[in-house]
Amino acid sequence: MRAVKIKKENLFDFLEAIKPFGDLWGPVKSGDGYVLEKVTDYSNIEMSALRTRIPFKKLLFPPKFTMFKFDEKGIRSSDEELPRQVIFGLHPCDLHALLIMDNFHSLHYVDPYYRERRERTAVIGLSCFPDDRCFCKATNTHYTEKGFDLFLTDLGDFYILWIGSSLGDDMVRECPELVDEEVTHDDLEKYIAWRKKRESNFKLKLDFTGMPSIMELSYDSPLWDELGEKCLSCGACTIVCPTCPCFNVIDEVDIGGGTGERTRRWDSCMFREYSMVAGGHNFREARSERLKLRFTHKLQAFVGAFGEAACVGCGRCIGACPVDIDIQTVAQNLKGEEVKA
Amino acid sequence: MSQEKKSVGLYGFTGCNGDQLVIIHSEDQLLPFFDSANIKSFSLAKSDNDNSELDLAFVEGSISSQEQAEHVKAIRERTRYLVAIGNCACYGGIQAMELGAKGWDQRFRKVYGDGFFINRTPIESKPIDVFVNVDFYLPGCPIDARQFFYCFAHFLQDDEPVFPDYPVCAECRWRENDCLLLKGELCLGPLTAAGCGARCPSHNLTCLGCWGPMKEANIGAEFNLLKEKDYSLEEIKRRFRMHTGSGMMKPLKKLLGAL
Repeated sequence: MRAVKIKKENLFDFLEAIKPFGDLWGPVKSGDGYVLEKVTDYSNIEMSALRTRIPFKKLLFPPKFTMFKFDEKGIRSSDEELPRQVIFGLHPCDLHALLIMDNFHSLHYVDPYYRERRERTAVIGLSCFPDDRCFCKATNTHYTEKGFDLFLTDLGDFYILWIGSSLGDDMVRECPELVDEEVTHDDLEKYIAWRKKRESNFKLKLDFTGMPSIMELSYDSPLWDELGEKCLSCGACTIVCPTCPCFNVIDEVDIGGGTGERTRRWDSCMFREYSMVAGGHNFREARSERLKLRFTHKLQAFVGAFGEAACVGCGRCIGACPVDIDIQTVAQNLKGEEVKA
Repeated sequence: MSQEKKSVGLYGFTGCNGDQLVIIHSEDQLLPFFDSANIKSFSLAKSDNDNSELDLAFVEGSISSQEQAEHVKAIRERTRYLVAIGNCACYGGIQAMELGAKGWDQRFRKVYGDGFFINRTPIESKPIDVFVNVDFYLPGCPIDARQFFYCFAHFLQDDEPVFPDYPVCAECRWRENDCLLLKGELCLGPLTAAGCGARCPSHNLTCLGCWGPMKEANIGAEFNLLKEKDYSLEEIKRRFRMHTGSGMMKPLKKLLGAL
């Protein structure tokens, strides 16, 4: 990692200069929130957006896409080349989630569809200030030194531009005149002061220490049945979660029957059919069973399989659930703390 | 294709014919549609219809006379599969709206007086499955063309189509809309079967439930949530019974009985 500086007034020129690296996607305003959208007018980018409704995952495995087409002779992969893309504005929580996703899609089995898109993706991170739903400090994901090609730390009238990969370095080399290579002691002091200010701004205090043990002892907790009564099984929590990768594979045949396509679509462990197997048996018929699966998977099982929890404290689920079942209320409930919903 | 073409019939009972219109309006699919099967009966689209044996029957509309009841039973007798299409066939539709304690007889007289009907004995409007066994439900008001042709293509292949078993909310979230329920509006998204692509919420209009309930609709939780948001029982009931006939009111009545 290497640090340079870029003046704020040069940012749009910089984004223009790195156009050859792909379509730029950034957070833009939509209704009461933000969504990641393809951006051509850089002034539409919301620099203060904390979380997009759906995280970056939609650009690495879209909600629905065609894996291949088939006819009576066999399968045909698409010869259309996917566009290169630059995702702008990911905060440390999402960058940690991106690392989790990368790991998940390549550690035991390389998913070619994910890799195809990931290899065409550059990532530019952006610093942030927490709001009352952010709890990345509790999940220890409030800083990151990896997961990005470039990362911008906002220090007033300039950014520190962290170069995290050779691809990031290539991007900076496109326009060396826009960056300032000289980082001074004064900048370090500004950076330290910014860190302190940010640290003191976390309002949501959660403690995930020892959570896998709590989850292990909570299999018979009456909480799951209580939550199962309330849950609408709408899947919102999984759709907005940056570490939820589950999908279903569905074939669609054309009317003639001779041709068709195999599609991949987002699935959710909150849906009834998710755990249904051939013959109609359902391993998690009850909503309470599905909720237990989701939260133990995030906070316990994932730790066993991948060495870390699959919650990055982004706070999306806290705002998404119509009946306030989220990682905050579940953790507080299981630990016997006062629950604030 | 070397296989023999399947015989298919499309029928309409009480309703607006909107579902058959959706099919007819799908111009880009009409040639393959008529080419891939022997369409034995489709009176909205063609005149040489017959009552021969069928592999597959699509039935639109609710049953609102004894004659219709006999007709749908006859269709059932001569078809291998029967698919109910549209909200009226699946749940009875608006004409099967539950309108309180007064009963169908009184409501019927209020509209039609004491006149008599030729060749028709009216009965209270009911969904198809009250009279015959239904193999598959294709809901919607009207149905979605993509879902219909997907369903049709899979039945021609003797393959059961896979339909969403999750609510409109999922499709709404995939489209990254603002959640209307979280904004305090009376939205039936969490109860309603997906398939429409969250059309109404994507235009900032609440879900009316026109796809009918999903299999696992948590009516109790939605009811409690709406009560918490200060909607009256009357407002909630009005919204529940509007589009789904028996679909959502039956479970709500069961729930209210239990309260």
